[in-house]
Amino acid sequence: MVLKTIRTVADRWQHGKGEYGHIFEPYVGDECIALDLETTSLDPESADILSIGAVKVRGKKVVTSERLDIKLQKPETLTAESIKIHKIRGIDLHGGEALGDALVELLNFIGNRPIMGYYIDFDIAVLNRHIRPRYGFSLPNKVIELSHLYQQKVQRANPELQPDLHFEKIAEKLSVPIMGRHTAVGDAITTALMYVRTMQGNIPL
Amino acid sequence: MPTSFNTEHAPFNLLTENQKKLLRDSLDIGYFDKKEVILEAGQPSDYVYVILKGDVAETDDHFSGNFEEEDEGFVAHYDNEELFGAITIINGSSRHTFTALEETISYLIPKATFLTLIEQNEDFSAFFKRTLAEKTRHLLSRQSDSDYDSSTFMLAQIDETCMRQPLVLASGSTIKEATQALKDHHADSLLVDRDGQYGMITKTDLLDAVVLKGLTLGSNIADLAHYKLLTVAPGDFLFNALVLMTRHKIERVVVQDEQQRLHGVVELVDVLSFFSNQSHVIGLQIEKASNLKELARAANGLNDLVRSLVSHGVKINFAMDLLAALNARIIGKVFDFLIPEEVRHKVCMLVLGSEGRGEQVLKTDQDNAIILSDDLVWPDRQKVLQQITDTLVSFGYPLCPGNIMVSNPMWVLTETQWKHQLVEWANTTNGEAQMNLAIFADAHVIAGDRGMFKKVRDFMFAHLAGNDVFYSYFASPIMRFSTPLTMFGSIKDSSKGIDIKKGGIFPIVHGIRTMALENRIKATNTFDRINALVEKKVLKKSFAENLSEALGLFVSLRLKQQLKTLAEGSEAEDANHIFISDMTKLDKEFFRDALHVVKDFKSRLSNRYRLER
Repeated sequence: MVLKTIRTVADRWQHGKGEYGHIFEPYVGDECIALDLETTSLDPESADILSIGAVKVRGKKVVTSERLDIKLQKPETLTAESIKIHKIRGIDLHGGEALGDALVELLNFIGNRPIMGYYIDFDIAVLNRHIRPRYGFSLPNKVIELSHLYQQKVQRANPELQPDLHFEKIAEKLSVPIMGRHTAVGDAITTALMYVRTMQGNIPL
Repeated sequence: MPTSFNTEHAPFNLLTENQKKLLRDSLDIGYFDKKEVILEAGQPSDYVYVILKGDVAETDDHFSGNFEEEDEGFVAHYDNEELFGAITIINGSSRHTFTALEETISYLIPKATFLTLIEQNEDFSAFFKRTLAEKTRHLLSRQSDSDYDSSTFMLAQIDETCMRQPLVLASGSTIKEATQALKDHHADSLLVDRDGQYGMITKTDLLDAVVLKGLTLGSNIADLAHYKLLTVAPGDFLFNALVLMTRHKIERVVVQDEQQRLHGVVELVDVLSFFSNQSHVIGLQIEKASNLKELARAANGLNDLVRSLVSHGVKINFAMDLLAALNARIIGKVFDFLIPEEVRHKVCMLVLGSEGRGEQVLKTDQDNAIILSDDLVWPDRQKVLQQITDTLVSFGYPLCPGNIMVSNPMWVLTETQWKHQLVEWANTTNGEAQMNLAIFADAHVIAGDRGMFKKVRDFMFAHLAGNDVFYSYFASPIMRFSTPLTMFGSIKDSSKGIDIKKGGIFPIVHGIRTMALENRIKATNTFDRINALVEKKVLKKSFAENLSEALGLFVSLRLKQQLKTLAEGSEAEDANHIFISDMTKLDKEFFRDALHVVKDFKSRLSNRYRLER
């Protein structure tokens, strides 16, 4: 956390007046971006991005009409292992976009809004691994971890409870329907719904 | 994406692929807390809402704010996949308030998108702008877009039901043997098997051979036969066989498969009788019947006729009309066979209840009565009338459990006795008398002297005119059974199914009957009565149409159930119980709309006849 702050201050010093300067502006508003990546592995140091899904959350609305659903060209590291995880085969990625174009789209879509997701640190790490060499900065945005938010909310009601933080379990508890599991945009929408639900009043324990 | 938005259901299935894409691309998702007001009365709406998960109540301004109890102000209830807000956008502002009953996640179709779709797609826009009656009509026209008669005509295939077993003789059989075989089998043609090759010989060929060519009776028939046969394959369209026969001016074709195996012979007569309307055939059978036995055969074909009509999607009103007409002819014929010529003009036979209204589709219990002329002397009466009842039972019309039949002297009265009886019933407020009067109110003359019945009926109208107390009592059974709707306006289901007779059919039929009686309407069929009430400006046309559609829907649902129980051979008792779990979503929606029409009608009747006591 402290490291990120120092890093962001340094990045802003360097890029605050640059092409992506607006990303470093403090955010005012009620929107955030629900983000999910599908990747070739679960190791942030080596994972390649297969697809990017992002959707805007505005207040209590999941603005699915404003979303990003990008499939990328097949990376070298697509293995049988990752096909098992994401059920995305090489053929599904045929005709996808080049990573560089996708990142530009993503940066413009996110802007300076907070980024929200489920185990979002992993996604941010993978993104930064690709963004930093290209643009010289890492994502400065505020990050919201859905599972932490949910856990806090549960434990505020009953500190003894240790909630099950599996994706499906949270969705079930919050009675949120799962929309297209294992597609980046589907998971992003589901996460967004869970977030909106968690932010509203009491949640079922 | 979102992928899970289902465009297969009405009304979204009316959209083109491009329009569906536009819809999917502009969808948002909204979350609403329990008890959150989604759309307030008098406010415009920015969206059409399609519930993804949750429960929404529509309430009007009479609503007290208490969702836990049944309340005046509840208008409707929306469940998963149901939509609301469309009418609000069309009308500009919402008439009612929409509140989430539990946490609700809903798709939001932006106003602009919705308006674009409405503008672009006429069917889609019509879906929202139509009343129930129009909706059903639209749906039916989509379901069976072509005339059913011609479609069965075109689609019938050649199978066992329409071909005859061929009569095959070996080569070397004589003309005499062949003639004898044709006579024994009542056939007009036969096939000769000459080393596996079949040849056709008709009666005419044999006649020509003997008379014109002068062959002896011992000649080999194999020499006479025609070996160039016109054939069709099993499974071919029957229509093709007809075309073949017409083109070659022949009266029979042979059915042979690709391996030259013989399956049978299709005769022109068979094709024509298959294509001619089945109901017409039964009608002819009834007319031609010269004794009770032949009549019985015709009567037994009726249930099959109904089944085929319904499976071909014939509208229920037409099926009922047809059946009523055929039933009436059968009973009329029985009357003619059994009642002696000399008393016939002094007797008037009535059918009562559902039969009188012409609303029974399958043969149900006999409900009938007789008016006798005051000066009739007829010693054999009881014996003959008992015979009528017995005959009808043998035709498949079960005995009436309430014993409302001509074999019961209670229901066989002279003209004067009938008038006294009606007055007595009208002045008695107990249930049985009121029910008898209701049954008589549906009476319809089936045979004999119509004049006597007119006098009795007009007397009844006159006697009841202006008697408000009577109508109030008469109408009261309508309120006895509650409409199977929950307090939220959705269908109240139960494990035993929904009793559609008590919940839907009876309130409409009896309510309309009461109004018809009050307004001296002579028609007995409920649909006809509704139309007559519209003409007399007692009912509004739009409401009457909805009422007719609702009744039609209930009756056809019941009929489907009846045919099912008939096929499964279970108790007829089940037929009135409908299981909504078996229905499609759209059917469910219509059923719910129809129940709302019933509820509305009941509350109007309750005001009109002061039934809240």
